[in-house]
Amino acid sequence: MAERLTDTLVAPLAGVDPSSWGAALQEAKGILAGLAVRRAGAGPFRVTGHEIRAALSSDATDLAGQRPFAWSARTARRALGLAAVRQLVAGDARSPVEAVRARLEESCRWAHDGSPCASQLDRWVAGLPPAGRVAVGAEAVTWATRLWCALDWSALGSAPVIGRDRWWDSPHSALLALRGRAEVRTDRADLVVLSGPRRETVRAELALVTLVEALRSRGSGVPGRVVGWWPDSGRLVRVEPEPAVLTLGAEAVGLVLAGSGAPVRSAA
Amino acid sequence: MVLVAPRPLLQPAHLEVAAAERSSGREVLALLRGDTAARPRFDPELAGGLRAWLEDAAFDVVATRGEHAPPVFLGPSQLLGSPAGWRDDEGLSDELVLSRLVHVLFRQLVTEGRFDHPLRDALDGLRASGAEELVRQIESLPPAARASLSETVASHAANVREMVPRFAPGWMPRTNDRVAIPLAGGRVVLHGSFDLLVGLPQPGTASLCALGLSTSGPWARERRSLHYLALLETLRSGTPPFRLALLESATGRYGVEDVREEHLRAIASHLSAWLATGPHG
Repeated sequence: MAERLTDTLVAPLAGVDPSSWGAALQEAKGILAGLAVRRAGAGPFRVTGHEIRAALSSDATDLAGQRPFAWSARTARRALGLAAVRQLVAGDARSPVEAVRARLEESCRWAHDGSPCASQLDRWVAGLPPAGRVAVGAEAVTWATRLWCALDWSALGSAPVIGRDRWWDSPHSALLALRGRAEVRTDRADLVVLSGPRRETVRAELALVTLVEALRSRGSGVPGRVVGWWPDSGRLVRVEPEPAVLTLGAEAVGLVLAGSGAPVRSAA
Repeated sequence: MVLVAPRPLLQPAHLEVAAAERSSGREVLALLRGDTAARPRFDPELAGGLRAWLEDAAFDVVATRGEHAPPVFLGPSQLLGSPAGWRDDEGLSDELVLSRLVHVLFRQLVTEGRFDHPLRDALDGLRASGAEELVRQIESLPPAARASLSETVASHAANVREMVPRFAPGWMPRTNDRVAIPLAGGRVVLHGSFDLLVGLPQPGTASLCALGLSTSGPWARERRSLHYLALLETLRSGTPPFRLALLESATGRYGVEDVREEHLRAIASHLSAWLATGPHG
């Protein structure tokens, strides 16, 4: 699995015609500007892959009916697992167990010292009884081990960025922001860890990552490919940086804002 | 089976048994490690062949149910039958509650190497895992029932502590590793969870060991459940775990066996037959 996933991340990118890319980017910006204007006066709106999935999938009702967010071993595992993988990549820990344990201890220390670094998650972790903290750690260890073992890290080139979400704030409205989530970012590709079943909306979810990268780019540079990976099944889905992907992403954002469940034009 | 040890542990070991005295755990570890030169090899085409077999059966299910029917999710309980005493039609059975509690302790032992007060630790672990409703149910039991549950959990916990080896962090132990294999374009999903996986995945080589914890048996069903998970791992990564261990917390019995192609073919045959005739319509 590590070989196949790593190969997909480091494979050379096909060339993209700059004029086609530039035109698609302008078109996407136009779509988003129009959306922002129409939303003016409403509450702030942050679009993530989750919103795209909820808006476009047939299980939208199920997703909408989810309980309000609460910290649990499951909801904390990504944040703690990413921190652990970051330590492993930096060589600060030798195993996921050690890395997660260090991260949990850091949470407790920050929370007890009243450090400004302490997040809501840190305070929740610090408030757990020891056995509860171990349960949270166990879930994070599994999450981190799967990601850590899935890649040949030495083949990824210079220091990959671990778990940094990127935002694009609309210049037309402070009310609209898009989030591109990726667990591992390299020069050539972004890896997104997926959960849940295979679904038709996944390309639109990943197109949002490409769109955010393109919108944030100051030059005419084309971002890398986006690779979605389900650890449960080992399956991959690749979204290459093609002009049509920008259109797919922008249209998906439009459908989210419109509150419509209409199918996205299959552009990618 | 390489070894099944019907240990005389119907009397649970004392909780204060030190980690270093875990003789069964050391034996399980030695059996899992085994002779590295003698590890089984698998045909690289095996995974593709098994997948093709199951895909054919899954498409028969789709043909029966219709193209637009919602996906069918099939786990060990549907495919192999429920473990003894499990039922959830009238709320959680005592056996299912016990299983949840003992599995939390198992994770704690693997991750942290110890637990202090079995029932209390298990409840704290469940609560942190988001199972507040179950914790409330247990905490609202009458005192006598709760004391009885506490005693039973302590008995299982003692056996688990005796049997579970201390894994070096470099073995990459991970608990509750979920596997979900979509077939027929995702319209049939085979799923399950390894209680514990150890080892580093290596391309083209069977390099993982899997451990299953059973709280209620029967042994044969639990062993088949491990074979089922080995099959899912083969479909996920291309190779199965090379060795399986089954630990029975009620008795302290454990067994370790190599995975063989015939195990995978037998369970794939069972699944294929189940998909052809099972109550999935």
